[in-house]
Amino acid sequence: MSASTVVAARIDSPLAEFWRRFRRKHVALAAGFVLLLIILAAIAAPLIAPYDPSTPDYDNVLSPPTLAHLFGTDSYGRDILSRVIWGGRISLSVGFISVIVGGVVGVALGLLSGFFGGWVDSLIMRGADVLFAFPGLLLALAVVAVLGPGISNVIWATAVFGVPAFARLVRGDTLALKQAVYVQAARSIGVSRLKLVSVHILPGTMPGVIVNASLRLGNNILTAASLSFLGLGAQPPSPEWGAMLADGRSYLGVADWLTLFPGLAIFVVVLAFNVLGDGLRDALSQKLR
Amino acid sequence: MLGYFLRRLAGTIPVLIAVSILVFGFVRLLPGDPARLVAGPDASEADVQAVRQDLGLDRPIYWQYAHYVGEIFQGNLGRSSRTRLPVSYEIGQRFMPTLWLTLAAMGWAILAGMGIGVLSGVRRGRWEDQGGMVVAVSGLSFPPFWLGLLLIDLFSVRLGWFPTGGYESPASIVLPSFTLGLAVAAVLARFTRSAFVEVASEDYVRTARAKGLPERRVIWTHTLRNALIPVITMTGLQFGFLLGGAVVVETVFAWPGLGRLLVDSISYRDYPVIQAEILLFSLEFILINLAVDLLYAVVNPEIRLR
Amino acid sequence: MHQIPRRIFIGSSLALAAATGARPSRAAGTTDLIVGVPTNLTGLDPADVNDTLSQSACRLMMQGLYGFDKDMNLIPVLAESYTANDTATEFTFKLRTGISFHDGAPFDAAAVKANFDRVTNPANHLKRTSLFAMIDHTDVVDPTTVRFVLKSPFGAFVPTIAHPSGMQLSPKAIQQYGRDISRNPVGTGPFKFVSWSADTLRVTKNDKYWKPNLPQLASVTFRSVPENGARLAMLQAGEAQFIYPMPPEMIKAVEHNANITINNAPSIYERYVAMNVMKHPYGDLRVRQALNYAVDKAAFAKVVWSGYEDPADSPIPPHLAFHVAQQPWPYDPAKAKQLLSQAGLGDGFDTEIWANTTTIALRAMQFLQQQLGAVGVRVKVTALEAGLLDSKIWSVQKPADSALQLYTGAWSSSTGDADWGLRPLFWTQAGPPKLYNVGYYSNKDVDADLEGALATADPKKRAALYADAQKRLWDDAPWIFLGVDRNLSAQSKKLTGLHMIPDGGLLIEEAALTA
Repeated sequence: MSASTVVAARIDSPLAEFWRRFRRKHVALAAGFVLLLIILAAIAAPLIAPYDPSTPDYDNVLSPPTLAHLFGTDSYGRDILSRVIWGGRISLSVGFISVIVGGVVGVALGLLSGFFGGWVDSLIMRGADVLFAFPGLLLALAVVAVLGPGISNVIWATAVFGVPAFARLVRGDTLALKQAVYVQAARSIGVSRLKLVSVHILPGTMPGVIVNASLRLGNNILTAASLSFLGLGAQPPSPEWGAMLADGRSYLGVADWLTLFPGLAIFVVVLAFNVLGDGLRDALSQKLR
Repeated sequence: MLGYFLRRLAGTIPVLIAVSILVFGFVRLLPGDPARLVAGPDASEADVQAVRQDLGLDRPIYWQYAHYVGEIFQGNLGRSSRTRLPVSYEIGQRFMPTLWLTLAAMGWAILAGMGIGVLSGVRRGRWEDQGGMVVAVSGLSFPPFWLGLLLIDLFSVRLGWFPTGGYESPASIVLPSFTLGLAVAAVLARFTRSAFVEVASEDYVRTARAKGLPERRVIWTHTLRNALIPVITMTGLQFGFLLGGAVVVETVFAWPGLGRLLVDSISYRDYPVIQAEILLFSLEFILINLAVDLLYAVVNPEIRLR
Repeated sequence: MHQIPRRIFIGSSLALAAATGARPSRAAGTTDLIVGVPTNLTGLDPADVNDTLSQSACRLMMQGLYGFDKDMNLIPVLAESYTANDTATEFTFKLRTGISFHDGAPFDAAAVKANFDRVTNPANHLKRTSLFAMIDHTDVVDPTTVRFVLKSPFGAFVPTIAHPSGMQLSPKAIQQYGRDISRNPVGTGPFKFVSWSADTLRVTKNDKYWKPNLPQLASVTFRSVPENGARLAMLQAGEAQFIYPMPPEMIKAVEHNANITINNAPSIYERYVAMNVMKHPYGDLRVRQALNYAVDKAAFAKVVWSGYEDPADSPIPPHLAFHVAQQPWPYDPAKAKQLLSQAGLGDGFDTEIWANTTTIALRAMQFLQQQLGAVGVRVKVTALEAGLLDSKIWSVQKPADSALQLYTGAWSSSTGDADWGLRPLFWTQAGPPKLYNVGYYSNKDVDADLEGALATADPKKRAALYADAQKRLWDDAPWIFLGVDRNLSAQSKKLTGLHMIPDGGLLIEEAALTA
């Protein structure tokens, strides 16, 4: 960065600076736009879905895509396009809520662990180790077995297993940032520990956290889909994308549209989150220099 | 350093004890009667009771825990509730296949993932960057069983290049490790790129450039060391996750791995197997995290581990 | 395709033994069969396994005194014949001579006694002990004659002996391996054990097999492949020559494949919805009848099974002994609504259905939700994981504690006899946790029929009693009678002689692969 840009950064608000950087990442902008469309579609599901997602039509079972049913119909004659749109609501909520919950808890733990070190670090990291011993999907499975099936329990389960990863990541970054020049400088002039952590270190961990969060979003959507896939997530006749894949996989080679469209939906959403997260990371990190 | 290492190793023991207690209690919290699940779909009450006695589940809970711990100290992990075969045998049969699959998948992931990550990080902002990341991340966005079935259909059924699954020949590792590796590759690509971009504008890199050092040297010597921190973290995490078995890939490719064993054991409430597997995973993670922490210090001596 | 009446061979069946030997011989088999199966084996000790797959694996290596042929007819195997006393408390079997186990130990009455003493001894903690609980003791009359003395009359004893759990292990091996015989099985069967690792079982031809010219195959391998699509791919790629189950939805994908044949055979799995008669409103006969009228069984077959499901015409499936067809319940939603109004439920009611999490269960529940919804019954669907289902249904100690309203699943009588197809499901004393009458149905007349049919070995008496029981149960409708499953499998055209029997087991003794 040239000297003039450094001066400009000090005068522009961080938000304007961020937007200026982000605007340049075309692919990420496109991804953001796509996601916005998807989110709007999910919210507007009752208005835009051509059919009711749960009403069967036994005369139109397993129909390939036609003008009447753009994505075809499933083994009950239900319109797949409508089910995909309604399913978006479920998949997106699961993704967002579980990442936010897991992320907030994980970041807090990671900061504490990395900053204070000593017994706090040991305790938290050993706790993370213990939680790591329960592989993600399996922990989610067990949580659901105890709490019972249903999509809200899936959210808690996927949130919980995201915590150790956030904690470990933020701890690593905190350890490195503690040694950074500007942190040492702030410390030497007596900045309080709270301010040190929240103003100087936390923002430095944000790029890693955002990258992880955007991956987690996609991952959590995939995990929720896997749980529905195992029959433990959304209950029938819910059009959650994973549940649609689970039922449709029996028809691979016979009625591929049953898996193609929910599969593509998952793929596009997860991909968009990842690409967007990448762009955000770039824009944010510029701001932090 | 040595002191730190030994202290960490000693620290694994309380963790393992904590895990053993936690998982012991945890499996017994799961609703469902293991005796009935093992006795089968048309067992009579007498059958179920016989199984319950055989599994020791009619004894008080402190007896069960003492028995469990006692057996561990003798190196005995007990017998699977379902097959009555020794747990060490059941896990032993699946450990090597899981390890091979993990190594092969990590191989793909490191080659492809880090490769794309470095390329993207170095050519930041240009089309190689954006394109590379989209490609990398696509691998993570596929539902794995769907991808697996498509690969089987193309490469095994139609082309006949690889077996459809199983653990029979060296060729059978290709498709499952590729499917598994794709997801990890994306993660590694991200972190590698992120790390490269992060550090590329650090003071010392600018200083080195200002000093007129060749670009390549700048990248490889100065950027790399700190860039590696989160990459090492993530690689370690992913390796640990994979060692826990990858249920979906193991299911689709009929790979005899630890993931499937754990899922099946949970379905049948096979306490001894669940307990032993989770202890094993815990130990693996502890060792991996220890290795990762040591690598931090090696890579950047400024990081002080207390 | 209808039931061949089961015949119990009382008296000599040497004719059958001769017929087996007279089969035309092919060139000596040097071929290896690979079978794709859906799950892992749980063991190879016949007295300690309860899943059909492990039992099929056992059948490769071991045999029982009696067994089942491919149509579930009872046939003598290691025994030649039997006699029973009038009160069905003593059964004497005449054994075949000249047979030895794979490890050389002779097959004789002492070996039979050793096996049954083992399985009836509770101290051995074998899962199948209670199946043979009616045996008081086993006597060696002479080296080729063995007598079972029962504690009380048990007319269904010979089918019980024919159950896969009655297969014989070598007494020498039992001594040698103890509990670990599960991974070192030794029997008298056409194949010998080679290895069993995680998901692969290997057996090889028994050169000294007592039936001439059998087996034709050099070896058999069972590989477990849980994912349906991958298992089918194995067959398509030529890596396996027989796979099961063949998912009905995928049949279209291989219909035109010249190398693959689909086998569509009857099974003895009856699919049903149990109604908990202790919960309102299922105690009212009109409601139970209404629900039977409300479900379109033909649509059920089409939607849930892609058409591969037979209508149910009795509480037990056609291939069980003593089956009698009843008048089908027609699809009549108007009549259903009418009956519900008569029962005071003109506005419908709310209820909940439970089942496990398999694809079929999920589909069935969604279908039922829609069908019952059409007559005003609002059904909430809850798929429960196996352990949870167990704790909520089968492990419930007192009827009052059961929260069950509707449950859907399938039942098969592993002995091929009507007793095990009815008693665990409809007998008053069969409520959980003892047996499987999850709806707590109780009917004194049905009880009398079931108990009476157990107390005699006379097939005519038993037939009459079971006919009465079936009629009463059908009319009283404690279940919605959904259908009878088909056994669907797929195989290479090169494979012959491999049979899937209605209980889902595999008979591989006569299998052969053409070039």
